[in-house]
Amino acid sequence: MRKQVTAGLLAAGLVLSGCGRNGTTGDDKAKNVDTGKVSGSITVWAQGSEGERLGAFAKRFEAANPGVTVKVTPMGMDVAHDKIISAIAGGATPDVSMIGTTWMGELAKTGAVDPTPGNLIDKSKFFPGSWETVTFDGTAYGVPWYVETRAFYYRTDLAGKAGVKPPATWQEAQSFAKAVKDKAGASQGVYQNYTVGSWQELLPLVWQAGGDILKDGKWSFDTPQMTQALTQFQSYYKAGTAPNKVDEGAFPNNFIKGQAAAFYSGPWMIYALDKDGGAGFAKKYDIAPYPRGSAGGTSLMGGGDLVVFKKTKNRAAAWKFVQWLSDPATQAQWFQEVKDLPAVQSAFGDPALKADKRVAVFGETLKTAKTPPPYPTWDQIAHVLETEIQKVALLKESPADAAKTMQSKADGIGTGA
Amino acid sequence: MIRRAALYVLLTLGLGVVVTPFGWAVLSSFKSEHEIRQNPPTFLPAHPTTAGYRELFQRLDLFTVFLNSVVVAVVVVLANMLFCSMVAYALTKLPFRARGAVFTLIMLQMMVPSIVLMVPQFVVVANLGVVNTIFGIILPYLVMPLGIFLMRQFMADIPDELVHAARIDGAGEFKIFFRIVLPLCKPPLATLSLITFLTAWNNFLWPAVVAQTQDKYTLPVALAIFANQEATHYGLLLAGAVVVVTPVVILFLALQRFFVEGIASTGIK
Amino acid sequence: MSTATATRRRAGRASPRAGSARPRRRGGLMAWVFAAPFLILFLVMYAGPLLAGLGMSFTDLRSTDVRHPLNVNGVGLANYQRLLHDEAMRKAAWNTFFFVATGVPLTIVFGLAAAVALHSGIGRARTFFRTGYFLPQVTSIIGIAVAWRFLLDPQSGLLNEALGAIGVHGPAWLADERTALPSLVAMATWRGFGFDMVIFLAALQGVPRELYEAADVDGAGRWAKFRRVTLPMLRPALLFTVVYSTIGYMQFLEEPFVMTKGGPLDSTLSASYAIYFQFGAGNYGYAGAAASVLFMVIVALSFLQFRVLRPKHL
Repeated sequence: MRKQVTAGLLAAGLVLSGCGRNGTTGDDKAKNVDTGKVSGSITVWAQGSEGERLGAFAKRFEAANPGVTVKVTPMGMDVAHDKIISAIAGGATPDVSMIGTTWMGELAKTGAVDPTPGNLIDKSKFFPGSWETVTFDGTAYGVPWYVETRAFYYRTDLAGKAGVKPPATWQEAQSFAKAVKDKAGASQGVYQNYTVGSWQELLPLVWQAGGDILKDGKWSFDTPQMTQALTQFQSYYKAGTAPNKVDEGAFPNNFIKGQAAAFYSGPWMIYALDKDGGAGFAKKYDIAPYPRGSAGGTSLMGGGDLVVFKKTKNRAAAWKFVQWLSDPATQAQWFQEVKDLPAVQSAFGDPALKADKRVAVFGETLKTAKTPPPYPTWDQIAHVLETEIQKVALLKESPADAAKTMQSKADGIGTGA
Repeated sequence: MIRRAALYVLLTLGLGVVVTPFGWAVLSSFKSEHEIRQNPPTFLPAHPTTAGYRELFQRLDLFTVFLNSVVVAVVVVLANMLFCSMVAYALTKLPFRARGAVFTLIMLQMMVPSIVLMVPQFVVVANLGVVNTIFGIILPYLVMPLGIFLMRQFMADIPDELVHAARIDGAGEFKIFFRIVLPLCKPPLATLSLITFLTAWNNFLWPAVVAQTQDKYTLPVALAIFANQEATHYGLLLAGAVVVVTPVVILFLALQRFFVEGIASTGIK
Repeated sequence: MSTATATRRRAGRASPRAGSARPRRRGGLMAWVFAAPFLILFLVMYAGPLLAGLGMSFTDLRSTDVRHPLNVNGVGLANYQRLLHDEAMRKAAWNTFFFVATGVPLTIVFGLAAAVALHSGIGRARTFFRTGYFLPQVTSIIGIAVAWRFLLDPQSGLLNEALGAIGVHGPAWLADERTALPSLVAMATWRGFGFDMVIFLAALQGVPRELYEAADVDGAGRWAKFRRVTLPMLRPALLFTVVYSTIGYMQFLEEPFVMTKGGPLDSTLSASYAIYFQFGAGNYGYAGAAASVLFMVIVALSFLQFRVLRPKHL
């Protein structure tokens, strides 16, 4: 037994003695890609409903490029990140993969993703916020695929009953919540997410107050604007016009049943509500832009990006596929397929998108929407924010203290850049 | 008499409580999407529908995926039946100087939090060139520590004289192993089959990472595609849950007889 | 480490001694042959990864280094020191301790109670009940999570509806930090007691009738018989269930991952989940250190349990 332990320690020691960071892993330079005819096959990974639908959708690409086969593998959302990192570790990456918009920093640093070729993709055609999610350390990797942003969903019938219009400012939002509770029987007021993912509702408030979360390349949370944002967020819980004792599963049922008269979310909820609310529910709610703070109504942008891996065996075809997906016409077709909003601005001119009035609200919001920086440590920072947000929502912490705690914890974690 | 009746009542009530979540899942797999989400929730389906199952069949290549799960589980079971017994035989019926060391390795394998091993194990699998293969999926599970324990405890109780006598008669070890010892091990082997089948059948994270194309997905991995989508398909997920559980229940019922004796021997000696 | 091994060997069955006449050379080699499949698999799939897991805990390895895992800095015990000061890790340790301290006894008590109930002459229905009670064991957590979430729904889940019928206002089980962890303990007990029940059932069958009859002669009541006859005979089964459940519960990850994502406010954050989170966040070195600590605690606990619960006749 003792021999084994010794052997093990020796082995560990040997390994460790060979360790040591030797400078940076080299700067990535974008290389042009061959834009001629492509052939062969490419493997593509994607998660969620995109993963489910991309396989059939990609047949159009195959039709337009005879000789090319696209093999799509759908992944579960919870496992996608682990899968990609493991694949990078084992050198078994696909040609193309969909990634979350906050993953680029980490992936770029692994050195496994290919910088975007300069001769293929025109960055100006994307929403500025979405292009930021594929940029790291000055270099762009991959392209944005689709975007989503957040707006204010509200029950038109309950608002009518309470005699209020959708709120245009922070102040009006507070009185809206009070009115629907007092006069229209919405026992929960408005619904704000205060658990997993709550940072997505806090960041817009910070931006709307004129603040930001980064300063000189470091996290900046202990700011007056953050305190203002948290105060606004907490005001509903203090006034009893937002629920903080409900289960995660309560939403969106509480909206459908009229217990909560409003919530903040993205375009996918349209289809979820129409499906779950039953017949006629679509007429009972509408979407309005985010209520504006002192610096405007900036919302959060999310979505999905696409990357090509350096180890791809068919670089030309991989990038051509990615380029095809970001073509305005394809983006509009993809919207019709999965209801994902295009990351390409001109695609919004397509009749299919123009026809849906509700999409227009999101389209407008996208022009100014911002994203969190794609730093490698973002997941941990988000967790820190969520923890403090929950304390604030449960009235266990003051906004000012929360901001300070966020700052100190974030400083401990760093940006990982 | 009254005591027995009271016992039955208690047991039945207990059964009701225990089986409720499962029962709700099965019943709800026959409800419409809208009814599943109803508040207050219903128990019996108001308008039974097979929509969940139909969606399951349409959106998943259920046949391939089910087959993969079966192949993975069966190979794992057979491998464990053989390999665990072999190690147990070495630990109990053969002179073995490294017995303690091997025992330590077995405990190590059982006690290490497996999440830390995932990436290094994937690197191994990648270097072996078996990524995206059934072999890669089953590799870490071919010999499971609990299986070794089971066989070891039971084999230790088999009288050494049997083995002894066979040796004197000139039988080789493998012959003794297959002809004399293993046939006596039906109970623990049945238990081992069930436990290893369970582990392999319900396993999610590792197969999800190793399989890179849909045709190599196992059932839990395929179901996970639908798990966190924006508009959750509860009907599909519940139907999937029922499909996942059914083979195991059938296996359990089939192995019932052997099962109790098998597990017993691990514990009581 | 050698002491622990020796203890375990004593706790197991006595192994055949070299007193039996057999050619030693042949026997020694054959043992290696029989153990080969396990050893080869261990060497290939576990030895390297185990050393890697341990090794990375002494470095600042991050997920961004996976392509060049040796291009990292050794940091000595820095990761381990950081663990001591990490509020979330402390919470996770406490939660895990609570989970094990309540979950293991509950699972064993319910398993034993069910076994005793089924053992006392139910006869034919025994298979029926046994199957039913074992059912939760065979379900995978992902499949059953949806059902549990609906059952525990604060407004209209079956549980709160039932409580409401007797006038009790049920809390938001999974959303309230005071009840979230106990709810998960209940879930784990529900899932696990069937396994213990089957073990105890079989062990009960191995208790000789004469012992009970002798106790009857001494005028012992039912409870005394249970304490003086049944329990001591169940000692080996108890040892097994305690050790096995402890090892399993110390690593509990699925319940919080699927049901509560560690919330609310980290009240259901388990050690394994915290490790998983650090891992997902890319802090491989730190996660490795946490995993090593968890492993050492598991080993220490098992060793302790063997010491305490070791059957007296061994």
